[in-house]
Amino acid sequence: MIIVNYVVAVLLLVLGLYAVCTQKNLIKVVLGLGIIDYGINLLIVSVGFNDGGTAPIFTISDLLNGISSNFFVDPVPQALTLTSIVIGACVDAMALALVIMIYRKYKTVNADEVRRIRG
Amino acid sequence: MISVQHFPVIAVMGLFLCAFLVEIFGAKNKFIRNTIVLIAAAGAFALIASLIKPVLLNGEIISYWMGNWEPVSGYAIGIGYEIDALNMFFALLVVTTILLAAIYSIKYMARDHHLGHYYTLFLMLSGSVLGLVLTGDIFNMFVMIEIMTFASVALTAFRNNKFGALEAGFKYLIIGSIGSSMTLAGIALLYAQCHTLNMAQISAALTNSLTPTTVLAFALMFAGFGVKSYIVPFHAPAAEAYMTAPTSISMVFSGMVNKAGVYGMIRLVYVIFRAMDLAPLQLILATFGTVTMFIGVTMALAQHDFKRLLAFHSISQIGYVITAIGLGTVLGLEAGLFHAMNHTLFKGLLFLTAGAVLYAAGTTDLDKLGGLSKKMPKTTVCFLIGAFSISGLPPFNGFASKWMIYQATYEKAATTGNFAYAFVTIVALVVSVMTLASFIKVTQAVFFGQLPENLKDVREVPLLMRVPMWIMSVLCVLSGVFYNVVEKYLLTPAANAAFNVTNYIDKMMGDGTAAAAGVTNITVDGATLSLWNPILWLVLFAIVLIAVCIVVLTGENTRGRVLAKTENDSEDGKYATFFGGEKSTHSHVAGSDLFWGFKHDFKGYFKFIQGMHSGVVSDYALWAVVATALIVVLMFVFVH
Repeated sequence: MIIVNYVVAVLLLVLGLYAVCTQKNLIKVVLGLGIIDYGINLLIVSVGFNDGGTAPIFTISDLLNGISSNFFVDPVPQALTLTSIVIGACVDAMALALVIMIYRKYKTVNADEVRRIRG
Repeated sequence: MISVQHFPVIAVMGLFLCAFLVEIFGAKNKFIRNTIVLIAAAGAFALIASLIKPVLLNGEIISYWMGNWEPVSGYAIGIGYEIDALNMFFALLVVTTILLAAIYSIKYMARDHHLGHYYTLFLMLSGSVLGLVLTGDIFNMFVMIEIMTFASVALTAFRNNKFGALEAGFKYLIIGSIGSSMTLAGIALLYAQCHTLNMAQISAALTNSLTPTTVLAFALMFAGFGVKSYIVPFHAPAAEAYMTAPTSISMVFSGMVNKAGVYGMIRLVYVIFRAMDLAPLQLILATFGTVTMFIGVTMALAQHDFKRLLAFHSISQIGYVITAIGLGTVLGLEAGLFHAMNHTLFKGLLFLTAGAVLYAAGTTDLDKLGGLSKKMPKTTVCFLIGAFSISGLPPFNGFASKWMIYQATYEKAATTGNFAYAFVTIVALVVSVMTLASFIKVTQAVFFGQLPENLKDVREVPLLMRVPMWIMSVLCVLSGVFYNVVEKYLLTPAANAAFNVTNYIDKMMGDGTAAAAGVTNITVDGATLSLWNPILWLVLFAIVLIAVCIVVLTGENTRGRVLAKTENDSEDGKYATFFGGEKSTHSHVAGSDLFWGFKHDFKGYFKFIQGMHSGVVSDYALWAVVATALIVVLMFVFVH
């Protein structure tokens, strides 16, 4: 049932935000960002889903012969999801690279101690 | 002969292409590297500037479909670029900033290593912001936002041996990603409702149909663009990024990256949702703007670092812009656009002078600087022009736009009868005064006062760094003196474009689409500008003078007497000598501490607000999430 997808997507989003806001370990904060991404990816892909639809591969004559759009899954959200996955991977990679640099410099990954700029 | 409609996409692609060319060919050779960067920046400037005539003067709208994928039976399939006067206005700001920052970088960054990487990131950032303001496709906009965030983060942490650069980059990345995730979720929900990603088609489809899904999408995208324009409470990472990034990049951040957020906000509320006739939404935007300008300026008063101080002023000025565009009136939008433009000019100029100070003296700590006006007179003049502009002194440009904002908010209060807008006017005035105070402090601490012993050998910065500063200074004065020219050729077309959405939709989706969807133009009855009438100004001046005289004459005469001792007297020499004055010939109050009395009086507030900026990434993330939740609730309760 498609409603499950939406519920899980929102749950993942909230869980990710919760992790970002409460976790003090910087690596866990980055994992939280990843979970937010997964939630949104699930949301986008569910938007284009058609129950029982086929892959969106048709020739133009198939379409002209009256195959209704309800028979296939919307391909645009899938393309968006792919883009979003790639971007999410980049965000995680970059954030983790920064965490490694911070660890080398500050000798800690505790958010409460990585706060030289404040006030 | 390439027709003019190809120019925008060539400008964007050219910047991206040169970003890679610079890394391939220019990593070792300085000359090739600089040539590629300057060609890319000047090329983008020339291509966008050549669109001034058709778009701004003739009022045309330029549309471009990637790969010629035009709409089929009313559905946009391909990615479209659409340039009307509104994004043309922002594109001009962007290309000007790119060109000046590129020129400035050549000398300023010359002492750094790995400059190939620097210029790659710089050109990626430039291309993404230009693409963001030119695109007509909402998902393309999201991709550009992400490229912008990556490039910004990498550039923030570029001088990673500097104080705090890494943590600033990390915080920027976390908060920025939360913002772009919200935008993406909003885009997904919009797609679910409208089955298209083209902004013109979405705008047509959303006529009179605010369902719960679209309201949620609106709230999420509102929060997303709020993050990108760094309104309070999303502002904390921005202040750190501006401080630690190389100064040429700080200028780019405050000149175009946060303008991209402002552009997104205007596009969202005026064009995509056309929601600015809703009174609650106007009040929400004005409230966010007012809080932003106040918290920004009070935080700036408490800073001891030149660049961090400028960063908080940047946030404060964006508050003005958001307040003005939130009024939903023609005058308000024009005032907001004008102030956005002026902010690009004077804040860019101020950051460049801060960069010059850093380049020459090696520090931006206000406590360690002083007396540089003798060593760097030309930089000092540029700084003073920028400081006068941002503080709103006539005849500089900041005065003209701030005056428009006061007028717009006051008119709004008069027409709606809502006292809240009059309060906004008062806050805007007070913030302007505090901005002036804060810049007096900077002027005293950096350029006047005593020259420290270790800065004896400071020399004026090279010519190539001064040229962008002079260009910006001249533009600051010109746009202040000839405000009516700016108003006629830049602001009015842009504001018209934001209010008249039918042309935007018809050009993209074919004639008659807007009419079929029931979109009607909002009649624009021309802004009635009574911009700074000199007689009114004199009257105001006389009133203030009389008020001062009354206070002085009726107040208790305290001169020459020691005021009641505070508990700090014994601990800190500056309190004692400042009041007594007899023992020491020179005051212990340093230039950067000029307003210690003011801060002392409000120390409860300052302690609280400085404590809030704790520097912990989870705290900042919590602000962002709470603010997003608040925006969602507000939109559901008030906007439907």
